Amino acid sequence: MQITCTGCSCLCDDITLRFNGEKIEEVRNACRRGAGIYLHHSSNMAKPKVDGEEVELEKALERAKEIIADSKNLVIYGLDTTTVEAQKVAIELAEKMQAYIDDCSTFCLGDFVEMILKGELPTATLEDVKNNAYVITYWGTDPYNSLPRHMSRYTYYPRGGKRQRGYEEDRYLVVVDVRKSHTAKLAKKNARFIKVDDDLELIDAFMKVMNGKAPEKFADDAARVIREMKKADFNVIFGGLGLKYGLNGNYKPFIELTKKLNEISKVYFIPAGFHANMRGFNETLFEKTGCVNRYSFREQKCSNDFAFSRLIESNAVDTALIIGSDPLNSLPFDVAKNLAKINTIVIDPRRSFTSEIAKVVLPSAISGVEQSGTMVRSDGVKVEVKAVVEKDVNDVYLLKDLVRAV
Amino acid sequence: MPITPMEVYKLLPKTNCKRCGEQTCMSFAFKVINREKTIEDCKPLFEEEKYRSQKEKLIKLLEPLNKATETGLIVDESKCVGCANCIVVCPVHAAEDPFGAGSGFGPTIENPILRMENGVVKVVNMEMCRRYGKNRTLCVACRENCPSDAISFLEG
Repeated sequence: MQITCTGCSCLCDDITLRFNGEKIEEVRNACRRGAGIYLHHSSNMAKPKVDGEEVELEKALERAKEIIADSKNLVIYGLDTTTVEAQKVAIELAEKMQAYIDDCSTFCLGDFVEMILKGELPTATLEDVKNNAYVITYWGTDPYNSLPRHMSRYTYYPRGGKRQRGYEEDRYLVVVDVRKSHTAKLAKKNARFIKVDDDLELIDAFMKVMNGKAPEKFADDAARVIREMKKADFNVIFGGLGLKYGLNGNYKPFIELTKKLNEISKVYFIPAGFHANMRGFNETLFEKTGCVNRYSFREQKCSNDFAFSRLIESNAVDTALIIGSDPLNSLPFDVAKNLAKINTIVIDPRRSFTSEIAKVVLPSAISGVEQSGTMVRSDGVKVEVKAVVEKDVNDVYLLKDLVRAV
Repeated sequence: MPITPMEVYKLLPKTNCKRCGEQTCMSFAFKVINREKTIEDCKPLFEEEKYRSQKEKLIKLLEPLNKATETGLIVDESKCVGCANCIVVCPVHAAEDPFGAGSGFGPTIENPILRMENGVVKVVNMEMCRRYGKNRTLCVACRENCPSDAISFLEG
């Protein structure tokens, strides 16, 4: 059985499963991260709970409806690992309740997705990259660990289109990072590893080289990369969290750099490294509101003050609906502990730290294993995800039920 | 850790007795590493009592030889994250399966050399490897592109 893996934003669609009766016995072609989802999908399942006690699903749903109906300030958070269909229903619920809605992209790569959707950064699909790209730059990201098959499936290693000789002659790899990461170790022949302390210094060096001046730092590296970029009509930069936090909110120099690079050659930008359907959430919300995340339907705008962590920290909300995320695990504990003080409802197929402190737990289905739907890959291509065993109670079912009640 | 012929040679009797069929102990050491001869072919080492400690050391040194596949490939599954770089870079895969493994997908041929099974790389069909058989070439493409050192070869 051929399926699409939902382990990360690569959404590899060539995974084969072999069954022994009903049990998944072997997963082929998936990385360790993807294979784990299928091999252990039935372990650590969540059970419907109200105030920490196991109850029937209907009872838990009733209690969740009551809490949401009584709430004055609701925040909906998570949604990055679920399908676009479920995200749409969640946005509908947020609109009805005049609630805040946010996902992990606030502290992940949401800003880059927003710049791409607004047309500030030129972008391409990963298929184009495979067929055309010459200089492939990984800036502040370590795909070997975060998106294991990114390089072998889509970018540096595969042969395709104009690049039939593959990584040996037809590609040039550039890795920009603060340390020699696993990906940087792959930068050997026809490649460069640039160790940076400050991303702005490197941006400055690139700009100086293009203006015909000699930069003080990275003179050799920057000149070589620009020279290689001029050789081809398709180059790509994959930006990760290292680039985002390196720029520290000031994206102007980077946008100017891509503009300038596009004057001498063709350079595209694709964000790399996030949850399976984070871009799907960003695009769905952008279509509806013009913002990619941290949106308040009451005030009709997005702002840093509406970021989930800020709302929880400042006790601005009385109810949190968390879908497929574990903020108690991923956010700073001082912030996340406030979740225990407010009414927290968790929709998650698995038990998590947050579900232990939640008032109501609603077990749902794992996208790609137990629920089908659409997901959006890191480059914006929509991918159909098929369930192995379709479950009736999934995110869409639960959220639609909550929407009907309000 | 790779085993070098010199390390093997140092522990051999170094008498060049030729009883193994080789002209020198050094050439015997090379053949042991290439697995054309086994250490048991060195008769004095097993017959004479004075070489006992050397023999024990040598057997311990050559333990990885038994674990390695016939081409000298050693896969440490605990280090593999399943990036599939090795599968895509393999020149044999690119030639035999250009639209499968050669283009970045999972192998579509029946018996590829390497395949991702349950998230880690598994050796499926060593006979296809360029390092196999008489006319072999010492290709190291898979090891070169494995940043976590999950793949290694006996010779280093």
